[in-house]
Amino acid sequence: MKLSLSWIKDYVDLPSTLDTKQLSYDLTMRTVEVEGAENLADRFENIIVGKILSIAQHPNADKLRICTTDIGGETKEIVCGGINLYEGMKVCVSKPGAIVKWHGEGEPVVIKNAKLRGVESYGMICASVEVGLVDLFPAKEEAEVMDLSAFDAPAGTPIADALDLNDIILEIDNKSMTNRPDLWGHYGIARELAAIYGLPLKKIENYVPTCAENDFTVEITDTKGCPRYIGVRMDGVSVKPAPYAMQNRIWKVGMRPINALVDITNYVMLATGQPTHAFDCDNISGHINVRRAAEGEKLELLNGKNLSLKSDDLVITDAEGPVALAGVMGGAKDSILPKTEKVILEVANFESRGIRKTALRYDNRTEASSRYEKAVDTQRVDQALALSMKLFSELYPEMKVTGFCDRKYSETQRCELDVSLDWLERRLGKRISNEDIKRQMTSLGFDTEFTGDNMHVVVPTWRSTGDVSIKADIMEEVARLYGYENFEPTSITTTFEGAINQLDKDLVRRIKEYLSIRCGMQEVFTYPWMETPTAEAVLGGFDGVLALATPPSPEEKYIRSSLLPNICDAVVKNERYYTDFAIYEEAQVFADRNYVSKYDASELLPEQRRCIAGAFAGSSNDITGLFRKAKGVIENMSRYTHMTGFEFRKEEKPVWADDTVWLNVFVDGKKIGDMALLARKTAMAVGVRNLAVMLFELDTDEMNPFTSRTNGFEHLKEYPVVEYDVSLLFDSAVKWETIYTTVVGKKNPDSLVKEAAFVDEYHGKQVPAGKKSVTVKLYIGADDRTLKSEEIEKCADSVIRKLEKVLGAEMRR
Amino acid sequence: MPLCGINRIMKEKIQALIAEAEDKISSALNDTELQQIKGYLLGKQGKLTDLLKELPKIDVSLRPEMGKAVNIAKDRLTALIEEKRTALQLKAAEVSPDFDVTVPGFTPAEGGLHPITQMCYDLNDAFRSMGFEIFQEDDITTELYGFDKLNFPPNHPARESMDTYWLEGHDKGEACDKLCLRPHLTGGSVRYMQTHKPPYRFVYPGPVYRNETTDARHERAFYQYEALIVDKDFTFTAGKVMIKSILSKVFGRDVPVRMRAGFFPFVEPGFEIDMGCLVCGGKGCSVCKHVGWIEVMPGGTPHPNVLKAAGLDPDEYTGFYVNIGLDRLVMMRYGVDDVRLFHSADLRFLEQFH
Repeated sequence: MKLSLSWIKDYVDLPSTLDTKQLSYDLTMRTVEVEGAENLADRFENIIVGKILSIAQHPNADKLRICTTDIGGETKEIVCGGINLYEGMKVCVSKPGAIVKWHGEGEPVVIKNAKLRGVESYGMICASVEVGLVDLFPAKEEAEVMDLSAFDAPAGTPIADALDLNDIILEIDNKSMTNRPDLWGHYGIARELAAIYGLPLKKIENYVPTCAENDFTVEITDTKGCPRYIGVRMDGVSVKPAPYAMQNRIWKVGMRPINALVDITNYVMLATGQPTHAFDCDNISGHINVRRAAEGEKLELLNGKNLSLKSDDLVITDAEGPVALAGVMGGAKDSILPKTEKVILEVANFESRGIRKTALRYDNRTEASSRYEKAVDTQRVDQALALSMKLFSELYPEMKVTGFCDRKYSETQRCELDVSLDWLERRLGKRISNEDIKRQMTSLGFDTEFTGDNMHVVVPTWRSTGDVSIKADIMEEVARLYGYENFEPTSITTTFEGAINQLDKDLVRRIKEYLSIRCGMQEVFTYPWMETPTAEAVLGGFDGVLALATPPSPEEKYIRSSLLPNICDAVVKNERYYTDFAIYEEAQVFADRNYVSKYDASELLPEQRRCIAGAFAGSSNDITGLFRKAKGVIENMSRYTHMTGFEFRKEEKPVWADDTVWLNVFVDGKKIGDMALLARKTAMAVGVRNLAVMLFELDTDEMNPFTSRTNGFEHLKEYPVVEYDVSLLFDSAVKWETIYTTVVGKKNPDSLVKEAAFVDEYHGKQVPAGKKSVTVKLYIGADDRTLKSEEIEKCADSVIRKLEKVLGAEMRR
Repeated sequence: MPLCGINRIMKEKIQALIAEAEDKISSALNDTELQQIKGYLLGKQGKLTDLLKELPKIDVSLRPEMGKAVNIAKDRLTALIEEKRTALQLKAAEVSPDFDVTVPGFTPAEGGLHPITQMCYDLNDAFRSMGFEIFQEDDITTELYGFDKLNFPPNHPARESMDTYWLEGHDKGEACDKLCLRPHLTGGSVRYMQTHKPPYRFVYPGPVYRNETTDARHERAFYQYEALIVDKDFTFTAGKVMIKSILSKVFGRDVPVRMRAGFFPFVEPGFEIDMGCLVCGGKGCSVCKHVGWIEVMPGGTPHPNVLKAAGLDPDEYTGFYVNIGLDRLVMMRYGVDDVRLFHSADLRFLEQFH
């Protein structure tokens, strides 16, 4: 919302020493956020009033004239193409250095002395559109320049002074006052400033109706939707431009002057925050009634929209039907037309929720509806009426009130609250004297009465429509006026009942740090919704997948039941720039099943599990390497993050997985996830071009963190353990797990083979088809002595014999 | 031959041997040569052994003296050889003077936490040091906890489908029937309060979702970080201290903080909390729109209705609440100018924060 400082000064005499910066700061700290403060005059630097002394034809151009112009103490020749030039005319002159927009279009340009068709021109005589004043000085034709002859200002006067544009315009953040219906007009902000600076606020005196008995009446059928309605019928008005001063104010705060009748209603709203409306009396048949619309009833709005109304829309009607959408917008039928001579002025209060609903329903929010929906007090009507009547009599001295009707069904009651002063002190951390509280609260319109520890507060009507309703609201009023910055910081005290021990939270953090820091993976964030084609390819369907009612886009309807579709999309995105990378994400997944009351018996929430999923993308020439890289990360996760270890088995192949390269992951026998190569077919469907991708997804809720670090301690070996590599040929189908079990068997403390490790696996020229060469590292040693080399050889030999016998292994030759 | 004559010859031989040894040892080029020299001098057939063999020829009275002289010579030769060996080893280990110290080092394993996770963990560490617990809760919630319990009026704009992601098939009805992706974290804070005993002191990080048009400053999914203290007679001025210490810890220097009037349904009084602009130091620049302050978080005292919803007596309990937008804080920390990058999963962006 924009506010004119000079308008505010109508209601409060702000000290001349107060600068704009300080005022913006104080208003921001105490009341609402001031987003900007512009001195309008800055836009009109080097733009002045000039008086045309004589006009001569341009020698080289039919349409141009050379105007000898008095620009205040000196005369200059200005070339101009205006069609409405005459000698003695006062015009708007942009001197060199002024900033204008050529014909009101494009980027602003700086005026320089220039030759026009061979004639030197000092600056330029401007059209209103060129100096941004077209709304105040509308031109009938494009080539018309501004005629300022009606203004007193002598030649040379800066335009800002001549046209009363020397004003500060404050831009208030609307979001910061959605809860304050009292602030949506200049008077409300003036009240805050009066309170902040301890200055008196000027009153707007109530209007006393002067008309005697009359036939004019207003009927209210829905008194809940319309608790108060004043109608005033006036004769002897006409459609004419409002006085410049009124137009000027309306324009400065961002509205367009239309005609005196419409401008009065807008002016009143901008001043008081109370919307009003003027109907053309001749277009109203019978009397006005405020009621709910009949379902399907028709109404054409001022802006041409044709509505088919709903039964909860509040409408203003005449004998024939709806003439206006209450609190939102007038209808086309009753609007002010050029020949209007009689009007009915409406100053009414409407219930906020209904107005909001209706305005949103027809996507027709207006300045009026946005004020009504914040809940205006019924008493504001009096203030708006008073100001309206004052303006009507000023603008139309011959005007007569021929009808007046005030329907009042309920009034906003002043809210009353009791606040303990001791409580206030404890919450504020400071005692503020009763006198200070009283002075500040009074300036905002609150009445206070002190009895012992109690402060009885009577809230003004304009704050009693929901804004101030509990004692915490009073605390806020006291604190903000005292100034939040004037409270000294106090230290935070607490009692510790013990160290914080949150195993689950710590585990997830350790896993992330393990993956990122130890395993070189990058954490990514993706959205909770999935791209439908990717999700379909990866998940195989949408059974039990939840969807959004209003998705970000039609193709992003489903929300994730697995992290993998989005991980796959992330792989595709990064494949453009990287050939070897690893990513993971930790987030929740959802399913349309297992609804539970986790927290509150009255609600049922769907299944929501916390998962961690990742991808290793690399060359498809080394699937084994990629597989071992991924498996190594998962296998070692438990060891480095202190939780129960994983087991790997093949039980149920994930839909997206390769037919062979897949494993399920288990903890204590329970399946917690999968790890597998993304099937080539799925990879192609989601758009992976060349890379092979190993994926994993694990349910972190099912992981079992240790309560403490559980690594045991082993004594350092007293006698050496020797490493001994053997390479043997096996059938291709023989699995490492079998080889390992055969070598180590059930771990026997007397056995000299302490451990065995996989070194590598080789298929190549020297290896016959259907075979593979596996190199195993044996760890050979005894607990009670250093082995002799013969013993070591013998031990290794016996292992080889065993592998030959049990698994049909052969020594490589 | 007179005794002294033999004695003198013997001494001369020892001297000559030492001189020869010094010469040979110093000219040895490698360990093998040195080994040969050692054999030549000290071996079984070596020169010193030969001298020892001559001892019996000497008069008995002179033998101890001569024996001693030979042993000194032996020690001397051994020392020279060892000295040379060390010198040769050092020389062998010498790195070429052409070695290029300007070649870049090997990069350790790449990988990192998301910059928002990093900020979240920094805050967790700071809050934990002040005795706060970490709380986490589900992404999908009901209208009851998304709005009703938080003092949102029934016609609040945020409840409309324009702003919240309601779930299909669960977007009709009221309160418990309506499910949505949580639009903020505060509803979860109410759940925490319902299931724990006061006083409370916890933080609650997590993603939230709003149905918005996205641009460089607006996202549909973003990270919030809520901190809540509920205790008897907690003053808002203590909240100011809390915020100041947290921001100073996160930004590594003293950060000016100011609280000003603000309105949010779930707090009363409510504040907009601003921090001094770190780019211009408060003088005013384009980042802070020339005011010297940047709005970082809303905060305030939990609204009595919210405390009531959590089962607490608002006359007895009060507290302090802040809700920090992590995306914005991270943008400020690094000068990131497009919030959408956080959910891009683009490694070219994420790798900058290792």
